[in-house]
Amino acid sequence: MTDQLSALTTIFTEFYYWITVVLMFLIHVGFCMYEVGASRYKHHQHTLMKNTMLIPLVTVTWFFFGWWIYWAFPTGPGLAPSIMNESAALITDESTFSAKWYQPNSQLMAINLGDHISGVFWAAFLLFSWTAASIVSGAVIERITTFAFGILAIAIGSVFWTIDAAWGWHFDGWMLKLLGYHDAYASGVIHAIAGGFALGILAVLGPRIGKFSSSGEPRNIGPRNPWLVTVGLFLIYTGFWGFYAACNIPIFNLGPEYGMEGVTYWTATNIYVTPTTLSGITMNFLMSLSGGLLAGYIVAKGDPFWTYSSGLAGIICASAGNDLYHPIQSMIIGMIGVVIAYKLHYWVERKFKIDDAVGAVAVHGYAGFVGLVICGFVLNGYPSSGYSVGAMWDGSNYAAINPLGMFIGALIMFGLLGFLPGWIIAKILHGMGKLRIPREVEIAGLDYNMLEAAKNDEKAVSSSTR
Amino acid sequence: MATVTNWIDHLSAKEVAGAVYPGVGTETLLVIIGIVIWIGWHVLANMQESEKLEKLARKRHSANDHKSNITDW
Repeated sequence: MTDQLSALTTIFTEFYYWITVVLMFLIHVGFCMYEVGASRYKHHQHTLMKNTMLIPLVTVTWFFFGWWIYWAFPTGPGLAPSIMNESAALITDESTFSAKWYQPNSQLMAINLGDHISGVFWAAFLLFSWTAASIVSGAVIERITTFAFGILAIAIGSVFWTIDAAWGWHFDGWMLKLLGYHDAYASGVIHAIAGGFALGILAVLGPRIGKFSSSGEPRNIGPRNPWLVTVGLFLIYTGFWGFYAACNIPIFNLGPEYGMEGVTYWTATNIYVTPTTLSGITMNFLMSLSGGLLAGYIVAKGDPFWTYSSGLAGIICASAGNDLYHPIQSMIIGMIGVVIAYKLHYWVERKFKIDDAVGAVAVHGYAGFVGLVICGFVLNGYPSSGYSVGAMWDGSNYAAINPLGMFIGALIMFGLLGFLPGWIIAKILHGMGKLRIPREVEIAGLDYNMLEAAKNDEKAVSSSTR
Repeated sequence: MATVTNWIDHLSAKEVAGAVYPGVGTETLLVIIGIVIWIGWHVLANMQESEKLEKLARKRHSANDHKSNITDW
C-alpha cells in the first residue's frame, strides 16, 4: 500500500469484513439462547455447552484444513477446468487464488504486513462454518453425546460446507459453470446443506424419549423458556444482517474486471462479482423476513415459536436470489418457503418419526432447498457469475441460471453433501456406541450431577451462620 | 525469537518482509503441535464424558428426581 487511495480501499475492505464478523457472532449467541430455551431444565447446561464447544472445534479445524479446502476444491476436482490454470485438478499451484497460500503453515495464515484481507475473509467464512454446525446442534438436543456432536460439527463446519462453498460459491466453482448455480446469500451453501446434514443424523439418532406415543403419534415437547427463544431468534435475525454484508464485496471496479476498455464502474457486488447494492438487498432482507413472519403466523395459527422461526425461514428461502429480486418477489418467495417448510416438517415427523427438536431441518433445509428451486425459475437466464460476461479470462464458459441446474444444485446441497455424509458419520458413531447418551441419563437429565452439586453447595451455604 | 527488533530498519528495507510474528520459519512445527493438541482434546474429552455418563446411568434416577435438586432463586 504505497498510495493513499489503495490504502483506503484496502483498510476499508478489511474493516468492512471485520465488522461483519462481529455482527455474525450474534448468530451464534442467538442459536445458543434458542437451544437452551427449547431444551428442558434438566438438560440446559449440557445443551449450551455442546453448542459452545463447536466454536473452538470448528475454528481450529477451519485453520488446519477448512479454509484450504475452499480454495483447493472449486474444480471438483475433475468436474470442470479452472479459469485460472485451465486444469481440473485441485488448485494448489502458484497462482494468486491458490489453496497453497492457505495451508496452515503458510506465512499468510498469520499477521502479515503484506496481506490485510485474507484473515478477515478467513474469519467471515469461519462464522459461516459455526452457523452451519450450530443449525445442526439445535435439531439433536437432549440425546446426542458431546463427543459425537464435536465430530459432526467439524464434519459439517470444516469439511462438507466448505466443499459446497468451493463448488457453488467460489468464482471458479464447477457448479456455476456446469449448472448455472446461483446462491447469493446461501439458501443452499449454508442452510440446505446443514438442514440435510441434520436430517441424516436424526434418521440414525432417533427421537427423544417420550416424543412419540406407543401408537406412533407425535407429542409436542414445547420450548421451556419462551423469552430465551424469542430473544435468541431476534439475535439470529440481527446477525443475519452481518451475514448478508459478508456475502458481498463492498466496493469493486467492474470495468477492468469485465474487460470493458476505458470503463470505470464502481459498485458493490455479490460473491459472484455481479453487481448489486447494499441498499437493495436491505429491502429484500426485510421484505423476505416480513413475508416469512406473515405466512408463519397464519400457517402456524399464531404459534409464537413457529412464527419467529418462519421469519428466518422466509429470509433463507429468498436468499439465493436476494441480490436481484424485487422486494415484493422476496416477500412472496419467503411466504412460499415457509408454508412448504412447515407442512413438510409435520409430514416428515409423522411419516418417518423424525424428532427435529427446533425445526432446524424445516427452517434451514426445506426452506433453503425450495429457495434454490424458485431462484432457478425467477432468475432464469441471468449470468451466474461475473466471469461469464467478461474477457478477463479467455475461454471461460459459465451456464446461465436455469431451473434444472438449480434443482440439481439443491439436490447436491441437501442430499449429496448434507444428508448423505450426516447419515454415514452418524452410522459410524452409532456403531462405535458413541452417538447417543445412555437411556438412563436421558431420563435423569444430562445436568443431573451439576444440579445435585449445586443443591449441596446451596445447603452448605444456607445452613452456615458465619 | 524476535523477528523484528527495529521497525525503521524493517519498514525501510527494499522488500518489506510481511511475516512479523516470533519464530518465522517454525510454522510447520507449530501446526504439528496444534494438531496434537486438537486430537488430544477429543481423546481426553471423550474419556471424561464416557466416565460421567456411565456413573450417572448406574444411578437410574427417575425423570422427576432432578426437581428435588432445583436451587432457590
